[in-house]
Amino acid sequence: MTSPGAQGGGALATRGGATGKRMKWALELSLGNSRNRGDRQSKDGDVMYPVGYSDKPVPDTSVQEADRNLVEKRCWDVALGPLKQIPMNLFIMYMSGNTISIFPIMMVCMMAWRPIQALMSMSATFKLLESSSQQWLQGLVYLIGNLLGSALAVYKCQSMGLLPTHSSDWLAFIEPPQRLEIMGGGMVM
Amino acid sequence: MPGWLFGSLTAEHCGSCSSAAMAWLVVRLAISVSLLYTASAVFEDQVGKFDWRQQFIGKVRFALFDTQSQASKKLLVATDKNVFASLNSRTGDLFWRHVDKTGPEGHIDTLLMYGQDAVVVVGNGRLLRSWETTVGGLKWETVLDTGSFQAAALVGVQDHVKYVAVLKKSSISLHDLSSGSQIWVENLPDSDTVQYQTIYSGGNGLVFVLGVVPNSHIVIVEYKIEDGEIMNKKSVEAAWMSSLETSCTIISSGILLCADQITQSLYTLPLQSAEQTEMRQIHLQTLDLEVASGFQPVLTSTQPNPAQPPLSEFFLQLSPDHHILLQLKDNLIAPLRDFNPSYLAAFATSGERTVAAVMSPKNDTACSINLFSADTGRRHLDTTIIYHMDPNGGKPNRLYVHAFLKKDDSVGYRVMVQTEDLTLTFLQQPGRVVWMREEALADVVTMEMVDLPFTGTQAELEGEFGKKADGLLPMVLKRLSSQFILLQAWLAHLWKLFYDARKPRSSVKNEITIDTLSRDEFNLQKMMVMVTASGKLFGIDSKSGTILWKQYLENIQPNSVFKLIVQRTTAHFPHPPQCTLLIKDKDTGLGSLYVFNPIFGKKSQIGVPALPRPILQTLLLPVIDQDYAKVLLLIDDQYKVTAFPSTKNVLQQLQDTASSIFFYLVDSSQGKLSGFRLRKDLSTELIWEVVIPAEVQKIVAVKGKRANEHVHSQGRVMGDRSVLYKYLNPNLLAVITESTDTHQERSFVGIFLIDGVTGRIVHEAVQRKARGPVHFVHSENWVVYVYWNSKFRRNEFSVLELFEGAELYNSTVFSSLDRPHPPQVLQQSYIFPAPISTLEATLTEKGITSRHLLVGLPSGNILSLPKMFLDPRRPEVVSEQSREENLIPYAPEMPIREEWFINYNQTVSRVRGIYTAPSGLESTCLVVAYGLDIYQTRVFPSKQFDVLKDDYDYVLISSVLFGLFFATMISKRLAEVKLLNRAWR
Repeated sequence: MTSPGAQGGGALATRGGATGKRMKWALELSLGNSRNRGDRQSKDGDVMYPVGYSDKPVPDTSVQEADRNLVEKRCWDVALGPLKQIPMNLFIMYMSGNTISIFPIMMVCMMAWRPIQALMSMSATFKLLESSSQQWLQGLVYLIGNLLGSALAVYKCQSMGLLPTHSSDWLAFIEPPQRLEIMGGGMVM
Repeated sequence: MPGWLFGSLTAEHCGSCSSAAMAWLVVRLAISVSLLYTASAVFEDQVGKFDWRQQFIGKVRFALFDTQSQASKKLLVATDKNVFASLNSRTGDLFWRHVDKTGPEGHIDTLLMYGQDAVVVVGNGRLLRSWETTVGGLKWETVLDTGSFQAAALVGVQDHVKYVAVLKKSSISLHDLSSGSQIWVENLPDSDTVQYQTIYSGGNGLVFVLGVVPNSHIVIVEYKIEDGEIMNKKSVEAAWMSSLETSCTIISSGILLCADQITQSLYTLPLQSAEQTEMRQIHLQTLDLEVASGFQPVLTSTQPNPAQPPLSEFFLQLSPDHHILLQLKDNLIAPLRDFNPSYLAAFATSGERTVAAVMSPKNDTACSINLFSADTGRRHLDTTIIYHMDPNGGKPNRLYVHAFLKKDDSVGYRVMVQTEDLTLTFLQQPGRVVWMREEALADVVTMEMVDLPFTGTQAELEGEFGKKADGLLPMVLKRLSSQFILLQAWLAHLWKLFYDARKPRSSVKNEITIDTLSRDEFNLQKMMVMVTASGKLFGIDSKSGTILWKQYLENIQPNSVFKLIVQRTTAHFPHPPQCTLLIKDKDTGLGSLYVFNPIFGKKSQIGVPALPRPILQTLLLPVIDQDYAKVLLLIDDQYKVTAFPSTKNVLQQLQDTASSIFFYLVDSSQGKLSGFRLRKDLSTELIWEVVIPAEVQKIVAVKGKRANEHVHSQGRVMGDRSVLYKYLNPNLLAVITESTDTHQERSFVGIFLIDGVTGRIVHEAVQRKARGPVHFVHSENWVVYVYWNSKFRRNEFSVLELFEGAELYNSTVFSSLDRPHPPQVLQQSYIFPAPISTLEATLTEKGITSRHLLVGLPSGNILSLPKMFLDPRRPEVVSEQSREENLIPYAPEMPIREEWFINYNQTVSRVRGIYTAPSGLESTCLVVAYGLDIYQTRVFPSKQFDVLKDDYDYVLISSVLFGLFFATMISKRLAEVKLLNRAWR
């Protein structure tokens, strides 16, 4: 391993023999450029900015109205996503049947897991919808869509018989009754 | 892995018993797996791994050594169990064994041996058979004429034995020894008055038949061998004689010698002389001898070669421990040697020399056997065999001698001693026990399996927690000391492992002794406590079949009834485990208790209650005394109860619980079932009575449920996933009756299910045109019984199952006094294509594993029949729901598959009982089948779901694991290096 000091400070870097004809050591006077690899790579293509180049983007105010519509549309897309999946899920449910084998189980797991995952990352979605004016409505639609998705998964589990809803599912937990009388005897010996 | 398979088992057992969705998935998967039901037979490499068989023969009645050649190891025996066998006299193992029918039909009347042939008369003179003794093949068999058998003898002509003569009550027949063909048969003269009892031939062309008219005279008839012509017939006055067989013998050249206790005399009579018409009396006083009062003197003579007359020397037994060797010479009887005291005496011949072996007491625990030359009574030097009597055994009662000529022409000998407790001991000089056989085990009456104790160290720890705390510091010290002992034991164990590893594998013997006994990890090794009809108790290690202790109880009447009760198991260290054996004498009705430690076989010092009244029944209560022993109640014929142990504590507890203790008694002769309740003063009150008219049907058996049975699942899951709850009444009795009318059209078998507390008849069923013997099992919520269908002439299984319905009446407590609803009863019957000898059900620790029925077949096989096949819910028409429930469609025929035989080719002759016990593993049930043989094995009704398979590839799995581990390490390192290098580029 190269000595750890090579990366520290950035002022001094020693290189292994692998780099061939490079110098054994080099001193760079521009601080901060060799702090990380990306910087070093950018150093390779380091050229002077052309004249008139500005670091800051030029604000464009001409298409703002259309943009907002786009954002709105985009946000509705996000909010309606789970609802749109439902017909697809229904179709998959129908196709996979109620038998218990590996593929239907995987389907059900996915169907159940996706809405749950989405509900868990609700705050992230809200952040996404922040820019929209109908943020709360969209959030609600998104929530309902996911809940419907999970309800569908639960229904599927139910129809596959995976839910402990019958008395037989609790049979193993019934303790044997305690006997009140002691009885014994037999044929006269 | 166990978890998953546990699911599979649950599925097989109850359809579904889990709650969570994933568990349901596993269960459903498992159902599909369990549909591929496969056989439970053992694999070839599993043979003998956890099973063993021991073969027995029973009480020896006749034993003959093969003296034809010096190297012969054969010992032919015929026993009271109708077994004819050949033993290896060097090892005691069986060469071959023929098991005949039980009862008088197969009774072996006599055994004669000449050369390679053994002639046997079977079934009170029904059959005459000749066996080839080397391989045990039947040479010929002849059916004899009717008539009860009296005697048989080999008949020789001119030094060659050619014939065998059979004497019956009214006829005599002569058969060729090589083919069995009958040469002639003659009726005996005056056979209605004369009891012909003895037959004799001295090789001179004549056969003598001797008969007696009790207290009157003796009749001697002389037959010519060639054609059966009566040559001579005479009668001799003998008013004192009642039986020829017991008091007479023939010695010398055809001289009848009789002994009489009342007149204290010996009588002689030459058979052939025409002139002597009276027996010559020789007073024993003239020989300075006296017969002990009340003792019938016994005469023993020997005829080394059937074609030659017997020797003129004979033994006279004057009292149980006094023999005398006498010689008849020139019509005078002279004593050769007096053996006083002496227990047993026997003659043996090798070549031309006949010797007599005499067993005399040496001290309290040992006997010495000495060899004497028969013709002079002189003692052979250096021929003493010391026989050490087992302090826990019985007295010797038979002596069989095998004499042989040594290289220096002196006579050597080996002896086989049979004792009262049916032990056969084979000894050689100077007292080395060559082998031993415990033939009492051929007649096991009852048995129990008891857990082995923990090792000393485990027990030490257990004890530490069991004791009461006596301060902090002593507790800490005690703890430290026991930890130190554990460490010590572990180091010793390691050292032993290391030490044994250096030795070659063959020399390391895992000998099981009583000291090294300890419970194994899964409690698979247990102590089998066996009670035999002869009154001998055995403690046998269930893993190897080694007899670890034995105890002979003297003075047990032959028809006693035994009941073995485990009062305290090994779980209560430091209290020793305790078993109690109730022995009831059938004649007097009086019972006695024998209390012992089942692990060491030692008699317990605990005082047993005196039982002055006949005992009717016992009841083991779950109530324990302060020493953790369960309380045993004994009910006498006045319905008074004796408690054992009966400490103050116990009596107090009994008073508190008396109102909930009930008995039932079944009197088969009156057809009466009666129930009693215990009162506080230990008397009882009759609370119910059911009378089944004894003139119509007879109660043949009653069975409750086993006390140690656990039922895991309280119901059965239906196809629609509802539950059908089982009717699990712990007080339910199954009563089997058989009709007294045995006509095949009118005979029937009845079954009553009666609540033992209230006497309520829960269910009754009658199987018409059926006949016993009925075998049945009562367990959980079902009764399975087998009977003979006399209409269709076949064996049938019938199963009754009881259910409460879709709802439990009371799920917390069960009281027979509060059961308003009768159970639903389902019944189905099946044809079983074989007769059966015994029936039992498997038993496991928690009752989760599915049940199998163990069916003992007369062929000696034990069939493990899944209870699944005996299910009254088996549908005739398959529906979606029944398929969901995993029910097999109903088929009247019950299959017998060879792979269901748990004992493959290790058949158990005359299997009489099967005992099942749970082990520490839920999947495993220990099985002991006993009859003439004993067979022990383990069965896995739901396969071994809780242990890895025997052929589990540890090497492969661990090498893959390690390989992956190292591959991960190496690739991680490589990735690091590569990343670093890239960073430096």
